[in-house]
Amino acid sequence: MSAEGGELERTLGFVEAMTLGGGTMIGAGIFILPGIAAETAGPASSVSYAIAGFVALLAALSLSELATGMPIAGGSYHYVNRALGGLFGAVVGWGMWTGLMFASAFYMIGFGQYLVEPLPFLDGRAVIVGIGLVGLALLLGVNYYGTEESSAFQNVTIGTETAIILVFVAVGLFFIDPGNLEPFAPFGAGGVVATTGIVFISFLGFEIIATVAGEIKNPSRIIPLSMILSVVLVTILYVLVMLVSTGVIPFESLGESPIPVSDVAVVYLGPLGVIAIVFAAIIAAISSSNSSILAASRVIYAMGRDGIVTDWLNASHPRFYTPHRAIAATGGVTALLILAGLGVETIIALLAEAASFSFLVSYSLVQVSLVVFRRADPDDYDPSFALPWPVYPVVPILGVLLSLLVVSQMATVVVVIGSGIVAFGVVWYAVYARGRVVSEGLLREAIRGEPAEPFRVVVPVANPGTQRGLLRLAAASAHANEDRGTPELVAVNVTPVAHPSPLQNVEADRADHQRDLLENAHDIATEMDVTLRTRAVVAPDVGEAILDVIEDEAADEVILGWDGTLDWDGHVFGTTVDPVVRDAPCDVSLVDLRTETVGTPVALVAPGPNAPVVAHQAVEFATVDGTVPTLLNVQSPRSESDADAEARGQAVVTDAAEAAGLDPDEYDVRVVVDDDVGRAVVEATGQYDTVCVGLSGRPGGSGIRFGTVTERVVHDSPGNVALIRGS
Amino acid sequence: MVRTGDLTILVPFDVSDAEPPALDVLDDLGAVEVVLLGYFPVPDQAEPALLRDQYGSEAAARLDAVADERGAHAEMLVFTHDREATIDRIADEYDCDAVLTAGNSAGVERVLVPLRGDVNLDRILGVVADLLLAGEETATLFHSVPEDVDPSQGELLLMGAVDRLVEYGVDRDRVDWRLAEGGDPQSDIADLAAEYDLVVLGETEPSLAERIIGTVLVGIVDALEVPALIVRDVE
Repeated sequence: MSAEGGELERTLGFVEAMTLGGGTMIGAGIFILPGIAAETAGPASSVSYAIAGFVALLAALSLSELATGMPIAGGSYHYVNRALGGLFGAVVGWGMWTGLMFASAFYMIGFGQYLVEPLPFLDGRAVIVGIGLVGLALLLGVNYYGTEESSAFQNVTIGTETAIILVFVAVGLFFIDPGNLEPFAPFGAGGVVATTGIVFISFLGFEIIATVAGEIKNPSRIIPLSMILSVVLVTILYVLVMLVSTGVIPFESLGESPIPVSDVAVVYLGPLGVIAIVFAAIIAAISSSNSSILAASRVIYAMGRDGIVTDWLNASHPRFYTPHRAIAATGGVTALLILAGLGVETIIALLAEAASFSFLVSYSLVQVSLVVFRRADPDDYDPSFALPWPVYPVVPILGVLLSLLVVSQMATVVVVIGSGIVAFGVVWYAVYARGRVVSEGLLREAIRGEPAEPFRVVVPVANPGTQRGLLRLAAASAHANEDRGTPELVAVNVTPVAHPSPLQNVEADRADHQRDLLENAHDIATEMDVTLRTRAVVAPDVGEAILDVIEDEAADEVILGWDGTLDWDGHVFGTTVDPVVRDAPCDVSLVDLRTETVGTPVALVAPGPNAPVVAHQAVEFATVDGTVPTLLNVQSPRSESDADAEARGQAVVTDAAEAAGLDPDEYDVRVVVDDDVGRAVVEATGQYDTVCVGLSGRPGGSGIRFGTVTERVVHDSPGNVALIRGS
Repeated sequence: MVRTGDLTILVPFDVSDAEPPALDVLDDLGAVEVVLLGYFPVPDQAEPALLRDQYGSEAAARLDAVADERGAHAEMLVFTHDREATIDRIADEYDCDAVLTAGNSAGVERVLVPLRGDVNLDRILGVVADLLLAGEETATLFHSVPEDVDPSQGELLLMGAVDRLVEYGVDRDRVDWRLAEGGDPQSDIADLAAEYDLVVLGETEPSLAERIIGTVLVGIVDALEVPALIVRDVE
């Protein structure tokens, strides 16, 4: 069994990812926007598509790196939220969700236009809007009831639609009249850039690949490949479609048509061509709108996961298991947007541009997030697809500049709507999300860079019930060693996965753990004023994984939780703990937290190499509750007087304390003389809240030496027990 | 060449169903290793993690209940959009020889083994031998020849298969064979299976058309009332 009750299968392969991404892009954008684009940029609209494709490619490159570093649901929203924190997360999350709804409404109105225009007995805006609403209702119904993976059917329909477009382009190239392409740019560069803002929505598909990153097989290969390839291929296709369209029909008459591609096709493919194009346009609109609804539910899921929106939206249907509330909310707003088409003449351009605005803003923030991830370099961010120098930093810089350039040329009304959505995100964060969001983002780390010479304590955490206490102990230890370096805690959680496979989504497990860790880390960090980093690891063997982290972090100390049982089933403490206690190259404290408080610790000091470490550890633990620890030594009287034995015990303790560099006022000394050492130890230590006992150092062999006295303490002490092993 | 009978079978079942599957057949198979896979079908509309957040503990409890009742060598819980892909992956990871589909059976005494040809034959016979060596069943090998083909070819195939089982150490009198001529193998198998307690089928690599429309094997399995053991075709 893997952690957290079950594995998550990754089921989308390369073809499915391309179908989802490319299929969305070869959607309504190609069938409807050529008319509007020709109107505002003339034949140079092909250049607008090329620029939009280039901006999309910059975003796809950065998203690819981020997605292979964190292949988990949510797309751009998730990366921005992690890098820049909840405020920007809320802005991008709401922006993406509304952007997807704008896009969905845009596709469905296009769907209406392609159904209404060719049929002579239908006309009028109301009919178009009505048909769009009917189409949307059907889609929502299907999505509400849920579909099992029928990727084969989707692949066939998207394949057919793509083939029709390819025929349209291939044949159309021979019918281009160069005269139509003159003047190439009647509206100048301004018109070209303004058009870019409208057509950018056509490249939405690669983002949809990123939103389902948690379900893509072999993510480190397929995510970058499908995102980048689909953007490049679709850009080439769009440029050709635009050249053909404006080359076959003068752009002025193209601009007047609500179904431009079909009007072009009739010139050289005849009525059959028109039927094929109308068929393709309808398939395209439905599949693109469907993908947008799918992506929207992933974005809402991710926002709910991070506390940006209420998880109520994410409740899944008791029978169909679909996120029905998220789908209904998305569908409801989309329906309102389609209805707006009744009153707004230029609804298509408006919806397209508003969606483009949202995504351009999101991509600017994605580019910034990439820089933040590179600078802060969190441990769990290890992308398999990393942009090489000089592609990074050129891509993020160009990406931000070009996005802003395109946004600056947009219609005023769109900028107002888009800024309104951004403002809504900010207000939403301030009013709803701020108290609920746990992730702070990496911005501070990115700006601050690496701290100097830390004193690092590694704390493996698995059990939410004990991790708080462990982290408090670790923070105290780190603080007590401030003279040796800046205190820093590293909380590690290992997700055990028996057979790590690229077909499993283990990152989602990591995210869940990470959230628990972060919540606690926040409290601890503020309480103890200590820096804390978290590391989430997926590995088949927990113990080995912890050792790797200790080595990797060059840890000075490790504090391990343990349930206090000694199973002699071939292990001393258990399969996870044993290798760490045996092989960790630093001080190890094995702690069994049996009570809420650390209180007054007692250290059992016996002569030996471990004694100074045990004494020092007791002093460190005492700082949690500000107590003074007792260093205890038990002597058996042998043949001498009690006083001699007492003196011998005193000497043992003082030697150990001196070796540990402790001041005499930092501890109390207690010596007990008794024939039965074991019983005396249990009795004496029973009066304290926390007992620190040394474990034998590492003898030549590989075993863990474990004395009978220690065993009795573990069994009979009512307080917390810490077993200490020096390095 | 006597086989040692270390048979590992994968038993997938749907944990989103409140009703646990009828797995009595497992008690009758003798000493086989069982890998229990509880899968939770996730619609395309939902992110698998979303359903795990909501139903994870419930599903795990159901899986544990079945595992406790039957005993299993390993148990897995997976949230997936695609049941088949998950079954394939887990079967690979745990090196399973065959996959069991649930059905109604009261004790396994008679096993039907339809053979299609040389496809996957060695593995099917290996699994049948392991089954027979681990338990007390008898097996009937079945082959259907098309109308325009000489039936003696089918006889040769069946007799060769019987000999192979005997080589593996199975008693001769626990194995017999039947040959059908003409007719539709699918419906023949489905009709014949009613007289048996378990069917052992070979996995087939679906053609493109089958991928889109559905596979032959699924058709047979759906028509069966009794449990089926599907022998995996792995190189």
